[in-house]
Amino acid sequence: MKKKRLAAYIAVSVFVSVFAVISGFSQEDVTTVHDSAFRRMMRPAVRFLHDDHNEKAEIEECSVCHHSYDAMGRKLEDESSEDMACSECHTLKNVDDPVPLIRVYHLQCKGCHLEKNAGPVMCGECHAN
Amino acid sequence: MAEPALKEESREIFDEGLNRGIEKLTSEKIEQVINAVLEDETGARLKVYVDTCVHCGLCSEACHFYVSFREPRFSPAGKVKQTLWEMLKKKGKVSPEFIRRASEIASTECNLCKRCSMYCPFGIDVAYLMLVVRRICHKLGVTPQYIQDTAHSHSATFNQMWVKDDEWIDTLMWQEEEAQDEIPDLRIPLDKEGADVFYSVIGPEPKFRAQLIYQAAVIMDAAGINWTMPATPGWDNSDMCMYTGDNEMMGRLKKAHFESAMRLKAKRIVMGECGHAFRSIYDMGNRWLAWQMPPIPVTHAIEFYYELFREGKLKIARKYETPVTLHDPCNIVRGRGLHEMARYVVNEVCEEFVEMHPNREHNFCCSAGGGVINCGPPFRNKRVEGNKAKADQLFDAKARGAKTLIAPCHNCHGGLEDIIHHYGLGLELKFLGDIIYECMEKGQGSEM
Amino acid sequence: MQTLYNFVSGPLVWLSFMIFIGGSLYRLISMAVLAKKKDPLVYVYMDWYYALRSIFHWIIPFGSENMKKRPVMTLVTFVFHICLIGIPIFLFAHVILWEEAWNISWWFISDPVADIMTLAVIASCIFFLVRRLVLPEVRYLTSYSDFVILAIVAVPFITGFWAYHQWFGYRLMLILHILSGEIMLAAIPFTRLSHALFFPVTRGYMGSEFGAVKNAKDW
Repeated sequence: MKKKRLAAYIAVSVFVSVFAVISGFSQEDVTTVHDSAFRRMMRPAVRFLHDDHNEKAEIEECSVCHHSYDAMGRKLEDESSEDMACSECHTLKNVDDPVPLIRVYHLQCKGCHLEKNAGPVMCGECHAN
Repeated sequence: MAEPALKEESREIFDEGLNRGIEKLTSEKIEQVINAVLEDETGARLKVYVDTCVHCGLCSEACHFYVSFREPRFSPAGKVKQTLWEMLKKKGKVSPEFIRRASEIASTECNLCKRCSMYCPFGIDVAYLMLVVRRICHKLGVTPQYIQDTAHSHSATFNQMWVKDDEWIDTLMWQEEEAQDEIPDLRIPLDKEGADVFYSVIGPEPKFRAQLIYQAAVIMDAAGINWTMPATPGWDNSDMCMYTGDNEMMGRLKKAHFESAMRLKAKRIVMGECGHAFRSIYDMGNRWLAWQMPPIPVTHAIEFYYELFREGKLKIARKYETPVTLHDPCNIVRGRGLHEMARYVVNEVCEEFVEMHPNREHNFCCSAGGGVINCGPPFRNKRVEGNKAKADQLFDAKARGAKTLIAPCHNCHGGLEDIIHHYGLGLELKFLGDIIYECMEKGQGSEM
Repeated sequence: MQTLYNFVSGPLVWLSFMIFIGGSLYRLISMAVLAKKKDPLVYVYMDWYYALRSIFHWIIPFGSENMKKRPVMTLVTFVFHICLIGIPIFLFAHVILWEEAWNISWWFISDPVADIMTLAVIASCIFFLVRRLVLPEVRYLTSYSDFVILAIVAVPFITGFWAYHQWFGYRLMLILHILSGEIMLAAIPFTRLSHALFFPVTRGYMGSEFGAVKNAKDW
């Protein structure tokens, strides 16, 4: 009985790990927004279908979201940063305080949604249980 | 034959002052007076007190009327609800019958003892609110008859008991003569200039309790005090006008009192064992006259006795043996914090002291103060039955051995006397001065 | 729904804070001016030391006789007020919203703790309601408005709890939550909730009278 349950746990873990690894490499399969800089999750991860979103939002350029800035803080219009995690630039001064990084994500998603008056803006619409 | 069931209206207490008072009222007059008082005489305090009350009822247990009757209408906030809230809500458009009831509540169901201010989390001053109601009723001429009579006496004679000017002097000389049987060279110095102590009493002392003046004279004599009593109006420190809402008259009384002490160039006023008079001189009358604190130092008898014992001016021949308990009068305990001094004096003169509970600032009122006993016989039963709380408290002290009850205040004395009789408590009631007089070494002061 | 959300979480927040802050200042200042005119004695007898002494005794649990006499009420009252003030300020989701809007943030309570505190507020409100209905001395003082005020306080916490757990009607609940919170904030200066503003003044004044003039304690 116990062994069976253990096997099930292992199977699920392996599946999830593999899934996570694969999804990390493949843009096409992004289903949640995940950044390892968040040590502990305060809310459920946001479900995000990358291609569906962009199709619906009519976004063609990667740099619309995956923006890039030079050392002087100037936006580089023709460069994009899709191979980087947000937290690589938006570093946390204090790793235990995720709030500044949360702000970055919220402004990126919710900020645009508010601006375009489209897409979810309420907490639970993205962080659905 | 079965008696008819008591009807609500037949339970109404008949009082000439209230019943006749409202006969003359019209709704216009009521509205005009209420709004004039609220507009001209009250301000932020009343507004904030009314707005801040969250109707939590936590003040209830503070009031001896509520504790005794267990009826919500006797809770402090309940009394405000029945009076001021209604007046404010209806913007003064209330009936004469309402005014009658408001006057009865404010004058006979609240002793202005301020205990509830210590139970209300916000420190709302219900006593102040009840005084505003009394003020309105005063201006409408609806005040219980007996207390109104004392107020009339105040305005006609400047004392509470219709004592004539010559009767006052006569009483002092009579007490002096009586005391000289005991201490041959004792004097009650009348109208002496430059004395250290200007001794004042309340009107009822020369009227009913002249022996208290005798005793005070013996204490002054033994302690070697340079003292005097005035021979003119202004001798009476009592003040029922303060309690009827007749503030103008309260001011005139206190002015006469302060001025008679100042005319004699006395260093300070020492007053007998009275609570409300102390409130009037130390707290309310002086304020009406725009004195932040009294213009001349005021010492209550308890504090005075305390000084005399501390400084060794009074000595006890033989301590009072019967176990005593002490009633803390609101006007000098919540009103002046004299409770520890009172205990010091009690311990100096008595062998055994039994605390009653609650005590000090938390003591229950006697239900006589605030002018309630002065509203006279019509309201006597309500006052006494409304203080079963006090009877329980006294009974408990008695059960723990107390046989004598010390009440260092005239109104408390009157109220407690009624309670002791009504509830058959069998306690002997005394002023602190009674016991000091009984136990002290007499007559040596004049030899000093 | 989105437009409605934008409205309650945008302009209405501004409005409610303006009413709350402006209204509170108006009430306090107008009372101070009125007191200067009609009750100048308040200024004469107000004494900072004794005012603070009294306030101190009344904000400490079981610091007064009456609190000791009613332990349950005291406990509920303190838990209620601490949670009532603590949750809106230190809730994680609220801190995030402040951060988003103003780039300022502060310490926050963990969500499970906040959940328990919210339940404590709701339970306290039920306690107050039952008390109001059952105790004769409280029922006697109760008017219709007392229930409305209790509801104004309870609803933001009920809806907030609901929205956090994302039960059915999440979107509507969240909007109601924000709206009711705004109503509560705006109601503070102009209802009996103003006891929050006037507590230090009334308590302080009574403390001053008792302490400085009457040499007695008032707790």
